[in-house]
Amino acid sequence: MKFQIPIGPQHPALKEPIGLRITVEGEIIRDADLRLGYNHRGLEKLAEQKTWIQNIYLAERICGICSHSHTTCYVQGVEKLMELEPPKRGLYIRTLVAELERVHSHLLWLGVAGHEAGFDSFFMYTWRDREIVMDILETITGNRVHYGINTIGGVRRDLDEMQVKHILDSLEILRKRSEYYRNLGTTEPSFVARLAGVGYLSPEDAVALCAVGPTLRASGIARDVRKDDPYAVYEEVPFEVCTADTCDVLGRAVVRIKELFQSYNIIEYLLKNLPAGPIAVRAPRRAKPNEVVSRYEAPRGENIHYIKSNGTDKPERLKVRAPTLANYAATIKMLKNGFIADVPLIFAAIDPCICCAERAVSVVDARSGEEKIIPMNTLKQLSQKISYGKEKKRVAEWPL
Amino acid sequence: MNDQILMEKAQASLGNKILALTNPAPRRIFLKVAPENLLETVGWLKNEIGFTHLSTISGVDLGQTFEVLYHFANDFTCLTLRTEIPRENPLLPSICELIPGAILYERELQDMFGIVVQNIPDGRPLVLPDGWPAGNYPLRKDWKYKRPPEVIPGGNK
Repeated sequence: MKFQIPIGPQHPALKEPIGLRITVEGEIIRDADLRLGYNHRGLEKLAEQKTWIQNIYLAERICGICSHSHTTCYVQGVEKLMELEPPKRGLYIRTLVAELERVHSHLLWLGVAGHEAGFDSFFMYTWRDREIVMDILETITGNRVHYGINTIGGVRRDLDEMQVKHILDSLEILRKRSEYYRNLGTTEPSFVARLAGVGYLSPEDAVALCAVGPTLRASGIARDVRKDDPYAVYEEVPFEVCTADTCDVLGRAVVRIKELFQSYNIIEYLLKNLPAGPIAVRAPRRAKPNEVVSRYEAPRGENIHYIKSNGTDKPERLKVRAPTLANYAATIKMLKNGFIADVPLIFAAIDPCICCAERAVSVVDARSGEEKIIPMNTLKQLSQKISYGKEKKRVAEWPL
Repeated sequence: MNDQILMEKAQASLGNKILALTNPAPRRIFLKVAPENLLETVGWLKNEIGFTHLSTISGVDLGQTFEVLYHFANDFTCLTLRTEIPRENPLLPSICELIPGAILYERELQDMFGIVVQNIPDGRPLVLPDGWPAGNYPLRKDWKYKRPPEVIPGGNK
């Protein structure tokens, strides 16, 4: 007997509403189907009616966690279209904010992973430390989430000595704490047991399904836009691409923890080698007819914008592909042959957290294919009616 | 391998199937082919050059035609394969057999431009809502958003 269980699209903790329909046989997921579009805002169409400058702020609002990723990706594309060369100091500050954003996103993710695995103190610890990064971001940019620091031709705010000192001091605290999380997250037996082997994605599948970011790197493929296609100042900053070879949720956690340390090193390097000079150049209002492909390594993976200009002050086309979309095909693969209980963990591992079953089950008659949605308590009554008066089975059998 | 070697290889292998081949910036290559040569070119890129990662597929409404751009990436460069299909008969072959990860992008293309992707393994709508009226393709240039008149149950008073 196969059941189909709808998960989503609404949940109070979801960053994005998404509909997931899984077909289960007992506890085991046999098939999964995705329904997107609950949050489709027509942003690409809207971008065609706004000017180049207005679109920076539109791009910023694509995502609440990686807002800087989208503006940087957009802005560096437009700079190529306008043939601008942003000053070095501007690029350093832009990269600094990008790495701070990666730190806050990865700490947030670690907390979510801890929460999904039932390790809530881990969640509270990492989120407490995430506040340190949020405070740094607020001191630099004035905002906690939508930093609004990018502009075409550079950045909008400069750093002073006090801020640099504040960031370096806070970085020391973060390093120490992350060291503790590394030990805890990779050696604490119950946490490791919960994550290991869950959501297996073989390297071949990861490549074939075009996965990106930590999801891909946890399957042992060292692909990182910062290394492969360096933008901003990544060509001169020393860092390593972090990978893991376990191909499961544990690997994805390890990759993210390793990336935290790489980000701390990058931030320290950027602050110690911050060049003097202006932070932005003046940008023209129009761009010549041309096209550009801009790529960026967001915390969740490769982000790509395709921008086409037509000589006016508005883009002809702005195509945005955020990393999460690229990972959906791989997520379906990971869910198959897993357990229902692993759904939140696997979904959280790609970094959107989709983790709630609606209080209704749609039942498909395996013989006729007929489908109906019935509430949970009706289902309970049905089962009670069937089992009423029957002999009670005392020893439960393991479904496998 | 760098951009120059890749372009020479493309010239040698694809020959007159190439309609345009440019390299406007480092690590950016634009290659244009006719839609009937699309599958063969994608197969060549994947098997001979190692472009296994498809970043996304973009569509652009050019008026009489639709331009479809396949953004491929590998460890050293980023190649954009483009093709143009007529607006009257927007048919495009599916590349899912070669690149299984293309499925969501092809479905999005169908939704937003009304392009018919042939042999697509799963052609259901992806991003538009269930009750979306047929024949409305939001990213076509002639499609304008009209706010539906607000109806308050029980009248406006």
